[in-house]
Amino acid sequence: MSRRRVLAVTLRLLQQFRRDRRTLALLFGAPLLILSLLGYLLRGGGSVPTMGIVNQDSGQLGQLVTTQLQQSKSVSTKLLSAGDADSGIKDGSLAGYVLFPSDFTSGAAQTHAVSPEVQLEGSQPQVSQSVLQALSQSFAALASQAPGGSAIRIQPQVTFRYGGPSLDTLDYFGAAFIGLVVFFLVFVITAVAFLRERGQGTLERLMASPLRRAEIVVGYMLGFTVLAVVQAIEVLAFSLLVLHVHNAGNIALIFLLEVLMAIAAVNLGIFLSMFARTEFQAVQFIPLVILPQVLLAGIIFPISTEPGALQVLSHVLPLTYAVNGMRDIMIKGADLGWSALQLDFAVILGFGILMILAAAATLRRRIA
Amino acid sequence: MAEMAIDVAKVTKRFGGLTALDSVTLRVPRGEVYGLLGPNGSGKTTLIRALVGLVAPDAGTVNVLGRRMPDLGVLGHVGYMTQQAALYPDLSVEENVRFFAAINGGESRVREVLDFVDLWPRRASVVSTLSGGMRTRCSLACALVHGPELLLLDEPTVGVDPQLRIQLWDRFQRMADEGTSILVSSHVMDEAERCRRLGLIRFGRLLAEGSVEELKEMAHVNRLEDAFIKLSEEKAS
Repeated sequence: MSRRRVLAVTLRLLQQFRRDRRTLALLFGAPLLILSLLGYLLRGGGSVPTMGIVNQDSGQLGQLVTTQLQQSKSVSTKLLSAGDADSGIKDGSLAGYVLFPSDFTSGAAQTHAVSPEVQLEGSQPQVSQSVLQALSQSFAALASQAPGGSAIRIQPQVTFRYGGPSLDTLDYFGAAFIGLVVFFLVFVITAVAFLRERGQGTLERLMASPLRRAEIVVGYMLGFTVLAVVQAIEVLAFSLLVLHVHNAGNIALIFLLEVLMAIAAVNLGIFLSMFARTEFQAVQFIPLVILPQVLLAGIIFPISTEPGALQVLSHVLPLTYAVNGMRDIMIKGADLGWSALQLDFAVILGFGILMILAAAATLRRRIA
Repeated sequence: MAEMAIDVAKVTKRFGGLTALDSVTLRVPRGEVYGLLGPNGSGKTTLIRALVGLVAPDAGTVNVLGRRMPDLGVLGHVGYMTQQAALYPDLSVEENVRFFAAINGGESRVREVLDFVDLWPRRASVVSTLSGGMRTRCSLACALVHGPELLLLDEPTVGVDPQLRIQLWDRFQRMADEGTSILVSSHVMDEAERCRRLGLIRFGRLLAEGSVEELKEMAHVNRLEDAFIKLSEEKAS
């Protein structure tokens, strides 16, 4: 092995990168960006889930537990009527609620054992866990302070509105990943394919033909949508039939949401490929476009527990709505009558249209 | 019908500090083979790209087949062969030609045009497996399939062996005889001699125009190459 030749290869490689400032910026900038995001996400003083307290107790015990819960660090609390608590669970603003009935104190005094009703939203295990933890800490602190001085056993009756103990981790993550997989792969393939079109000179030829910009973009979109639809069917069939991911909703709706995501991803791919010169640079968009969305779309960390500033960011990312929508359909059995799902569909459709317009608008600028 | 296939008037195009075209005026009547002769980087490709509307001039006007560019409608009557054989490498020869036929409107001429470039027997071959010369012929077929009235050829014979170069020029000549207007850019002097009229371009300026004989006479030399060098020096000074 010749040292001179090895060094020549090494030097050539480094010289090449010296002229590709973008790659260098990504190589040294992207890790800091992603680690900062992760650090802020986990140590940024994130919020805690909100739980409702429905206190109908005419005695003191309900008030005592309420005070304990209000001091809890794992949840924030809201005093509500039973009706409001129920709708809070349906619209996702509450992680759960506890109900102290009117005979809570008197029952405790007679039997030394009470079973308050706890209803959990249930679609995100970490959030449910926070509520249960807050409750058990409050109950433990109070067990010895009951009126009359003797110990009281508090055993909540936990029910899950959605999901519940029968669901495992894959059921929760599967729904989110179905949306992510389609979005990610379609985006990468479109961006690379479009750059090949430019690199091999055929885009120039197309632009010198009667073909309109919108025809190129829509043609691409349809072509990749055909592939994406086949992929969506495959992903869905594998998830439901082989992995047996829990699904409480309408398969056609899941499929429709996947297709909308694919259309948005195709156009995002075309649009972003305008800002890359080579296929190599297009692949570099993955850590910038995909990773922050994976961290912030609520796939791994519930959005309600993120620091406030990141929650704002999460709510402008399209993947957030796809993940929400998928979970609403598959775990909660949502249909298009649900306003939350209507919002998810509207945002993804709107994002897709915005990307089509952006892709068409940037096409001529970049070829000329 | 406009008399001029190409009518470029005082076109200037700058890219940052570089003037790629400097007040170029050029007219090509219908049915003429016009050669744009100049070294690499002289502005030939920029001028051709301005003709198909891919470059917007900073000043001046470009008319093609009587229509002010950019005009999508007229592009259906123009054939454009880029310097690089711009083809889809994963498609077959016929699939490539059919695609450009579908875009430009010439589906019925696929067989005819593949015969014209001698690629009909290789129509099923995937482009990535073809030699450079075959790719050039396939690229030409894609530019011709819709029977264009004006053919723009950007250095079509670069990297092509002498035998194929002669064949290609015979085909260009046949098309011109049938009434197609052709603008071909080149930096090869011997093939420039096949053009009815030549324009010498350098530093983005059209230095001189005329038939081969007229250019030699203008420079008082016997060879086109010498005429090009002498006229370049005279105009530059």
